[in-house]
Amino acid sequence: MARQLEDIFNECYERIRSGESLKSCLKRYPKHAAELEPLLKTAFDIGRRASYIHPRPEFKHWARVHLEGMQHHARQQRQPVAKPGPFIWRQSWSVAVAAVLIIVLTGSSTAIASSNAMPDEPLYPVKLATEDMRLAVAVSDTQKAQVHTQLAETRAVEVETMADEGKTEYAAITAAKLVKQLELANSAIARVESTVGTAPLPTTTEEQPLTTEEQPPVTEEQPQVTEEQPQVTEEQPPVTEEQPQVTEEQPQVTEEQPTPTEGQPTPPAFTKRDKGVTAKTERFKKSLEGSTSRSLKALEGAMEKAPPQAKPDWQRTINMISEKGPAPVWPSQPTPQSDNTTRNEGWPTPQSDNTTWDQGKPNPFSPYNNQPSSSEWQNTGNKDWPSDKAQNNWSNNSTAK
Amino acid sequence: MSSEEYLVKQAINGDQEAFAQLYNQNFDRIHRYIYVKVRSQAEAEDLTQDVFIKALGSIGSYKYRELPFAAWLFKIAHNRVIDHVRKVSKEKRASLDEAYAKSLEDPVQMTERNSEVQQLKEALEHLPEAQREVATLRFIGQLSIAEVAKTLGKSEGTVKALQFNATASLRKTLYEKING
Repeated sequence: MARQLEDIFNECYERIRSGESLKSCLKRYPKHAAELEPLLKTAFDIGRRASYIHPRPEFKHWARVHLEGMQHHARQQRQPVAKPGPFIWRQSWSVAVAAVLIIVLTGSSTAIASSNAMPDEPLYPVKLATEDMRLAVAVSDTQKAQVHTQLAETRAVEVETMADEGKTEYAAITAAKLVKQLELANSAIARVESTVGTAPLPTTTEEQPLTTEEQPPVTEEQPQVTEEQPQVTEEQPPVTEEQPQVTEEQPQVTEEQPTPTEGQPTPPAFTKRDKGVTAKTERFKKSLEGSTSRSLKALEGAMEKAPPQAKPDWQRTINMISEKGPAPVWPSQPTPQSDNTTRNEGWPTPQSDNTTWDQGKPNPFSPYNNQPSSSEWQNTGNKDWPSDKAQNNWSNNSTAK
Repeated sequence: MSSEEYLVKQAINGDQEAFAQLYNQNFDRIHRYIYVKVRSQAEAEDLTQDVFIKALGSIGSYKYRELPFAAWLFKIAHNRVIDHVRKVSKEKRASLDEAYAKSLEDPVQMTERNSEVQQLKEALEHLPEAQREVATLRFIGQLSIAEVAKTLGKSEGTVKALQFNATASLRKTLYEKING
């Protein structure tokens, strides 16, 4: 009996959904009409109440923009990428050769014309491909850091242009690219910094000017073991830990420097070359700061013009770029690693859940993560999160109307 | 082949427009389904976006014949909500935030609607879990009995019984509250 009523209820619910009237349906089952009527009304009342629930239009819009950005990124990732290894240089050169072929086939003017293409223009994919080529032919860590820094600057210009022109979708997608590019640039700079204080790297033509004065001449007693020099023989044993590279002839070892004792690690020599590398990384960081502030200014301008309901989403984008931007460069800091230390101590630690788009955890455009704007960070003495008042304002901005 | 099945195939092949159409067809109801199950609009938005990110990432492994696309999305949403609720249940449970109804010019009507949505959320919270799941998928997600059964891994008969009992309980909770 009860089972039958469940089936009848479901049948009537489906019939009414398809357009039949409640009265008509109840006539089919007069014995159960009294019991069915209030239940069917309840079922449709639930649907009526639920129909009042709508996603905020700006959330729906930005979520879609984010997904489109992910799809675009995924397509780029599907393109073959050179695997790291001893033959990477061959693959890099093959990319370069391929790029030359593309330029020849499509016309070099196309590649040149694409250099100024904006994200909403047909030549923009060519521009991105050209950038990939530049990265592929960058050999040393310094060159890679330089290219990544320049690409961040390029993205910042694009964000600025799109925001100024009111092309919000393109500005948002490009801002996401800028965030990624800032990450890559910071990582590349960190890699360069990690070489400071260690043994001199094999020099490249671009790095040569930084190192010629400081590097001691390579003597026969100190063979440089590289891939290109397979002539290391038994007579010329490879450099090992037992063979200290610091000799009397090397200028950086002076009487003032403490002599390493047994059982204690030798402190890394901080040479003029290292200082040169540090100066270079600081220049990169300053460039990143410029790119960050440029794009932030443009996005803040766009946010001012945006309708009130869209402002939290612009703020979210601004916060993400603020997080990924470089730490302030402090030239007076004695060691190159100090910048990283400063970043961790001086800037509020972003909540990791709110910073990774690709892992699917955070909603980067949700205004509810209670993250402060860049100006709020700066106003809090760089130590704490914004005041309760600032957080309340943040929440109030995103409260449903 | 249904139009939805065609769209899904196109989306699996990387057609951005096809995925956008599926997104538009399902976004509001997925959001609605999640909204009535979590504490705040912020959580609902985060989880809704998570569902579509997850769907985008795993659409390549989706097979239409095993589960209709909407049911597949609701299954992702269901699992995501369960994970989320488990996570936040350890925290102190905050009061539900005010319901969100589409902005209206008439503030009185808007307040009434917010109140009705809030009552619905509270009434659903009083249901046993299985009934709540069926009622939410059926009346709010607008899935068919067959789709609900596949989403939850239950028989259609069981779903119908849960639906009937849930409706009776909701009626009691909603109207007793109003009359009381």
